[in-house]
Amino acid sequence: MSHRVLASTLASAALLTASAFGQAQGQAQTKAAAVKTTPAAAAIPRTADGHPDLSGVFSNVTTVPMARPANCGTKEFYTPEDIAAGMGGARGCATPGAAPAGRGGGGRGGAAGGRGAAANIDPETGQPALQVHYDTSQFGLSGNTIVRSSSMRTSIITGPDGKIPPLTPEAQKRQQDRAAYNRVHQWDGPESRPLGERCIMWPAEGPPMLSEGYNSDIQLVQSAGYVGVVQEMIHDSRLIPTNGGPTLLPASVHQWFGSPRGHWEGDKLVVETTNFTDKTTLQQAPTTDKLKVIEKFSRIDANNVLYEFTVDDPNTWTKPWSGEVTWTKIDSPIYEYACHEGNYGMANNLSGQRATEKKAAEQK
Amino acid sequence: MKKTFAVLVASIGILVGAAPMWAHHAFASEFDEKHPIKLRGVVTQWELVNPHSWIHIDVKNADGSVTPWMIEGGSPNALFRLGFTKNSLPAGTELIIEGYQAKDGANRGVGAKLTYMDGKSLFLKPAGEDK
Repeated sequence: MSHRVLASTLASAALLTASAFGQAQGQAQTKAAAVKTTPAAAAIPRTADGHPDLSGVFSNVTTVPMARPANCGTKEFYTPEDIAAGMGGARGCATPGAAPAGRGGGGRGGAAGGRGAAANIDPETGQPALQVHYDTSQFGLSGNTIVRSSSMRTSIITGPDGKIPPLTPEAQKRQQDRAAYNRVHQWDGPESRPLGERCIMWPAEGPPMLSEGYNSDIQLVQSAGYVGVVQEMIHDSRLIPTNGGPTLLPASVHQWFGSPRGHWEGDKLVVETTNFTDKTTLQQAPTTDKLKVIEKFSRIDANNVLYEFTVDDPNTWTKPWSGEVTWTKIDSPIYEYACHEGNYGMANNLSGQRATEKKAAEQK
Repeated sequence: MKKTFAVLVASIGILVGAAPMWAHHAFASEFDEKHPIKLRGVVTQWELVNPHSWIHIDVKNADGSVTPWMIEGGSPNALFRLGFTKNSLPAGTELIIEGYQAKDGANRGVGAKLTYMDGKSLFLKPAGEDK
C-alpha cells in the first residue's frame, strides 16, 4: 500500500484540524513530495548490519482521519481524479456542495487517541468539554510548523470497514461500569483522575502509537539488537529487543506499555507487544491483559517511516483491526516533557471541583 | 474582582474561530466559561513548564494597589518549535489578556487572547523585521 502514499511534509495552518487533506491540498505552503516507495532500496539508510536504519525524529501527525468518512463506504483510497473533484478532508467522498461526509465511527485524524469530541462531552469526565480555549493564535501566530503526512487513504484504519470494530458485550459492560464509577468518584482525589492528567501516560501513546494531538513527536534510536522509542508525549520510552522470541515476562507481569519483542522480516521490523495492564484504554475502549499489538516499521525512504499496526483483544473488540500511518522526519530534537514539573492543573482542577461542590451545597 | 482591572466580558464571541488546542486536563472543571475576564497587566514572569506554560502578570487596581494573576498557556515544547525562546515574553511587557477565570475564584485563568498595548497580537513580528 505504500505506493499510495502521496505527500510528505507540509506546514498547515490548523494545528489540530483533522481530516484536512483537502484543505492541505489547497494551501500554498503545502510542499507535497512524492515518496519513493519503489524497491529503490538504495534510498533507504542502513546500519552496519544491513538492516534499515530507523533512527531519526519523526512526526506522526497525519491529515488522514482515523475512521473512514461514512460517505466513502468501503472505498479505501482516493484517486487523483477524486482529489481533483474536491473530495477529501471533511467532505470525504462527496464533492463540493454535496452533503457533509458524516462520521465513520468515531475518531479524528491522527489525534484520535482516546479523546473523542462527540457531543462536546469530555469522555474522561462525562462533563461538557470547554470548547473555548487558548490556541496558537493567542501568540499572534496564524499557522504553525507542525509536520504531518497525508496520503490517498480515506482512513488510518485499513480494510473494507475503515473503522474500529464494535465492542464485545463484555467490553460494553466494562465501559459502562467504569463510566458509572467515574461519575461518582472521578473527583475524589488525584488518584481518581485520568492517567494523562496524572502524567502517567497519554491516551494515544499506545502501542499503537498514534498522534497525541500536540507534541506528536517520536524518536527512534537503533543499535544492534535493540530499537529505542521515545515519545515526547508524555515522556515515555520503549526499549524493543529485535532478536526475536516471545516476551521474557511471565504472564502475571503487566505494564502500562506492555512488553515488546521484535524481529526483522526482510526490511521490516515487526514488533509484538503483550503483557499490558487492564487499567488503560485504547481509542476509548477499556482494554484487558489479553491485548496484543503487532507493529511494523518500514523505512520507506530517507525521510519517512511507514508505521503499520494490528490490534487484537478478544475481550474488547469483536475482531482485530489494523491501520497505518506514515511518519515524517522532522528537523528538531525531542524536547523534554517534564509533565510533573508544572502540573498545576491537577491541584487547580480539584480545587475547582471543590468550589463547585461548595457552591452547590450552599444553594440547597 | 472589582478591585482589579478585570472586566467581565459579556460575550465569548471574541473567540469564535479560534482553533482550540487540546489540553492536558479537563478545562471545564478548572475554568469557568461563565466568568470571562479581561485583564490589563505587566508581565512579571513566564513559567515555561510542562504540561502548560504560565504567564504571571501584575494587574494595577484603581486604588493603585497591584493584584498578581496567573494565566495558563500552551505547552512550551510546541512553542519552542514555533520559534519562541524564554526571552520571547520578557518581564515588563504590558498586555491585555482575555480569558476565563478559575472556578475556585482564585486570581488565575486561562488565556484565550493576548494583545499588546498597541493592538498587535503577541509575538507578531514587528514591522521592518525579517523574522
